[in-house]
Amino acid sequence: MERLHSAHLVGIGTMTAKAYFHHRPWEEVMCGIAAILYKTGESTRSQAVGLQLREMLYSMRHRGVDSTGVNIAGQHFGTDYVVRVVVSEDQGASHVIEGVRNAVAALGGSIVFINDFGRFRRIGLNYSGDLGKLSDSILSVKGAEIHSIGRSSEVIKDVGDAYELDKKHHFSKVNGTHGLGHVRLATESQVDITHSHPFWAYPFPDITVVHNGQLTNYHKLKREFQQRGFRFQTHNDSEVIAVYIADKLSRRGKLGDVLEESLDDLDGTFTYVVSTDSGIGMAKDRWSAKPFVILETDEIVGVASEEVALRRIFPDDVRRVEPQEHEVLTWNVSLAPRIKVRLN
Amino acid sequence: MTKRLAGNVPKALSAPVSQGYSIDARKLTTRLLNASIKSGVSKGRHITILNPDARHNLAVGIVKRCSLSFAGSVGYYCCAFCDGISATIEGNSGWGLGDNLMSGSIVIRQDAGASVGASMRGGQILVWGNAGARAGISMKGGTLVIAGNSGFLTGFMMQRGRIIVMGGVGDAAGDSMYEGIVYVGGEIGSLGVDAKTESATESEEVELRAFLKALKFRDDILPRRFRKIVSAKRLYHYDSLEPLERERLVI
Repeated sequence: MERLHSAHLVGIGTMTAKAYFHHRPWEEVMCGIAAILYKTGESTRSQAVGLQLREMLYSMRHRGVDSTGVNIAGQHFGTDYVVRVVVSEDQGASHVIEGVRNAVAALGGSIVFINDFGRFRRIGLNYSGDLGKLSDSILSVKGAEIHSIGRSSEVIKDVGDAYELDKKHHFSKVNGTHGLGHVRLATESQVDITHSHPFWAYPFPDITVVHNGQLTNYHKLKREFQQRGFRFQTHNDSEVIAVYIADKLSRRGKLGDVLEESLDDLDGTFTYVVSTDSGIGMAKDRWSAKPFVILETDEIVGVASEEVALRRIFPDDVRRVEPQEHEVLTWNVSLAPRIKVRLN
Repeated sequence: MTKRLAGNVPKALSAPVSQGYSIDARKLTTRLLNASIKSGVSKGRHITILNPDARHNLAVGIVKRCSLSFAGSVGYYCCAFCDGISATIEGNSGWGLGDNLMSGSIVIRQDAGASVGASMRGGQILVWGNAGARAGISMKGGTLVIAGNSGFLTGFMMQRGRIIVMGGVGDAAGDSMYEGIVYVGGEIGSLGVDAKTESATESEEVELRAFLKALKFRDDILPRRFRKIVSAKRLYHYDSLEPLERERLVI
């Protein structure tokens, strides 16, 4: 792993663009992304999105073993929001949770349930105010980091491969309408849980991003957002995509247009997938530098970095499509009736 | 190590007699599967690989004349570093199909991923579907035939050989070519740096059509006319002047 890592850095520093393309092996093996979406909105059947993401991500584990993460959307929580929080051990978990409780109560919200997954807490709460304020006050509690806030989706991420993640968090039992996932080989920032994908778009509910690639104008974009008051939790270049998308979506509306704009605003190599409360979208850079394939039927669409992931859930006779450079695609679940979630 | 692996191999081989051996890829790790293929190849039999499930690095480094078929999709670098292989793939392929092929032929029934025929030096690759980005990147010989469309940067940095695309090619076709020819039957998205188009001569057309006919292309699906993309060779000599210096010279 170390060898690949350092070789890649040498590749960027000393090679010309052409030679960089020539060294395809390093280019290709970094990070894998996958997503699945059921288009049958009317169907009341809850779909095994968690299970299928686990299979897809596990079959792509050779693309990254540092961490694995998923976002499963289209769930029914029974509360206004579910907040996924990771608590620092040195602060003392109960102490941190007490702080979060107070922070929520101070804003007039109420916590309905807290599920315990080791260092992770899944908090269901009712709250009707501004989400930016809620996130800020939770983040101001020392030792608490937010992985996601959603009305119908939640982010589950941890170090290790997909089966290790499932062992700790039982996400294969979570059903929904759509979801996305990521296996990470860290190249740009540190290996820890908070720096792993998917990234939640502070402070917008249900918007998450997984990304394969590197952004070269990350620092510039991040500074611009920070000047406008956005808060970043990590030093990972992919986090800025999430914030970028959410910010534009909140002002303009259509996912396809926003993704189209991002092709020019983001610089570097990237293929990324966005999940919102009602669908998913993908965008691919102008160099077509990162792999991506799509399999689609009338009911379901699956996308992944590699066909090997899609063949785990699709039969052989479904034709695969490989999007080309500078391309954007979106899919919608046509707003399914909310689906019940089971968690161990 | 290889010897020990080879000892395990016969168990993985079964024989549906008429077609030679078949190997079920799901039962084997990639390393064992490749060892099984090599062992079958050394016996001179046709080998069918069942359930390849788009896995990577299948049938790599085979330097013997042999006949293989894959009953499904394959992943990255399928049939890479081969010499004398004759392979058929019933599904799609991932990136780098037939990387560095020295001689032999590879036929793929559906779509090829990016970088098909990367650095190939001889032999022939036939794609019945579409090809992804950078088809024939850095090709150094042989023929790459694409029956459908080919993507972005077709023939990127090509050095010798020929690419025949029956459909259209995407943007930046023939970017930074040194030598070699890209024949295009359909639309050209745009030309890359230092690439130019020429129309194929009559004798070239005759030769091309005879070649494609031998590959079982029917007359009625052949394009009416081929255009060819070749290097304009302006990049052969590096211009060391800065733009400002050049301006001063002109004045």
